[in-house]
Amino acid sequence: MTRVAVVGAGYSGFNSNTPDLSWKELMYEAAVRAYEDAGVDPRKDVDAFVTCAEDFWEGFAIFDEFVPDQLGAVLKPTFTVDADFLYGIANAVMIIKSGLADIAVVEAHSKASDILTFGEVIKFAFDPIWLRPIGKAHPYYFAALEKSAYMTARGYSDDVFAKVVEKNKANGRLNSDAPYAGKVTADDVLRSEAVFYPIRKLEIAQRADGAIVFVLAREEIARELTDTPIWVSGVGWWSETSNYDTMSFTAAYARKSAEMAYKMAGITNPARQIDVAEVDDRFAFKEVQHIEALKLAKSNEIPELVEGGYFGRGGDLPVNVSGGSLSVGNLLEATGGQKALEVVLQLRGEAGRRQVDAEVGVAQAWRYIPTASGAVAVFSR
Amino acid sequence: MVFNEKIVDAGELKHIEGKIELYWIYTSGEAGDRFFKALKDEGKFLAAKCTCCGKTYFPPRIYCEYDFSETEFVEISGEGCVRAFAVATLDNNEESLKNPEIYAIIDMDGTDGCIIHLLGEMDAEDIRVGMKVKPVLKSKEEREGRITDILYFKPV
Repeated sequence: MTRVAVVGAGYSGFNSNTPDLSWKELMYEAAVRAYEDAGVDPRKDVDAFVTCAEDFWEGFAIFDEFVPDQLGAVLKPTFTVDADFLYGIANAVMIIKSGLADIAVVEAHSKASDILTFGEVIKFAFDPIWLRPIGKAHPYYFAALEKSAYMTARGYSDDVFAKVVEKNKANGRLNSDAPYAGKVTADDVLRSEAVFYPIRKLEIAQRADGAIVFVLAREEIARELTDTPIWVSGVGWWSETSNYDTMSFTAAYARKSAEMAYKMAGITNPARQIDVAEVDDRFAFKEVQHIEALKLAKSNEIPELVEGGYFGRGGDLPVNVSGGSLSVGNLLEATGGQKALEVVLQLRGEAGRRQVDAEVGVAQAWRYIPTASGAVAVFSR
Repeated sequence: MVFNEKIVDAGELKHIEGKIELYWIYTSGEAGDRFFKALKDEGKFLAAKCTCCGKTYFPPRIYCEYDFSETEFVEISGEGCVRAFAVATLDNNEESLKNPEIYAIIDMDGTDGCIIHLLGEMDAEDIRVGMKVKPVLKSKEEREGRITDILYFKPV
């Protein structure tokens, strides 16, 4: 069966808001750049298009019907996955491997700045009978409960999460598309307001806008199109349950989706074989959970490794070199897209001043509050 | 055009505000119906035990998500232990709540499950993981057969 490679990547953003462009124009910008990067004409060369979106983030129903034009996909096979960009990558890999398409496009975007009632939209994802009617607080409280359960289960102190924020905000300072990068110390984090104790203000990724488009192709075509194909060597996705009483609160969804992706990629020792990782850090504790779930380190060693800079830009296994969502912002369903983009840029050697030495990278995204679902993709040079 | 003729005058930017007004009825199903009737009429708590593996679910449901087999209802005390808690200071619009709310994951006695609900009659500083709590219900006349018939949980 053919291998599948990323042959083009384009993006628009990332910004705290984008008042001059509609969400469709954001997509168009990202698409034009991706096709330029890949050297393809979407009207002639692309066989299938996959978009990733959730109607409630968009503010209208049947999102897939709003797509084809801005991607060059009119009168072509398109569908929408109501999930993160990495699920779109998994679908594109399947479409190409099955022989249905030689070249497929994946898109995800966030126009979070258009959402006036972000908290209310998330509350719509809460069980309407058992959970949604309880209390008046912003749904961020659900993440705070998960952090509380996770910290207790692992015996972690808050220092490790504060250090993650310090690292990611610092990494973001070398990323010109990271609007929330900054000079923040772990002490600043610990002193920031405990808006959802035990989560403090600086541990929460703020919302951002942007769009990401990838062009994927089967091996023979990929080699014709580019000298630097980045192989999608593994994909995985997993859901725990929609019921809070049977959720692990230790990111089992990420562990299982990573195992699926690693198996496909032939990775048996991720801590040694993965050179760079971009994981979901939309709350600081999520990065720690995901490092553990992706088996990038043993859970009891993580606090020491974080403290010692092991996951820093100059460390043995850089995590969120892009600055992560804590610097780039919460891109909703495009979160995994930004993470995959960073891995691709790193593997191509196109990451500029934040370039690290990497042959194999992993990108991971979670489906956000209140889910226990997510996806993983492994990329290699 | 979007690449070389950007709108730079913020005063020219246009947008339209919109809203979606949505209404549903959410059916609570067989398990929910039994639970909320018992809560409303008798102030009792029901869980659901898998007839195959014996795992006891709270909130109750009619099937076991591991065995995909049926469950039977069992009465429980409604008391439990705090596994995790959070103190929320902001509302849905990220504006300050008049009074911070304390949420908790409470492992329910006699079950393998838990409830997420509010804690009351205690200060945030006094909450400990593992502390025993019991539910405080609305008076029988005020109960509607909803999860909010439980006002909060308080220390035993």
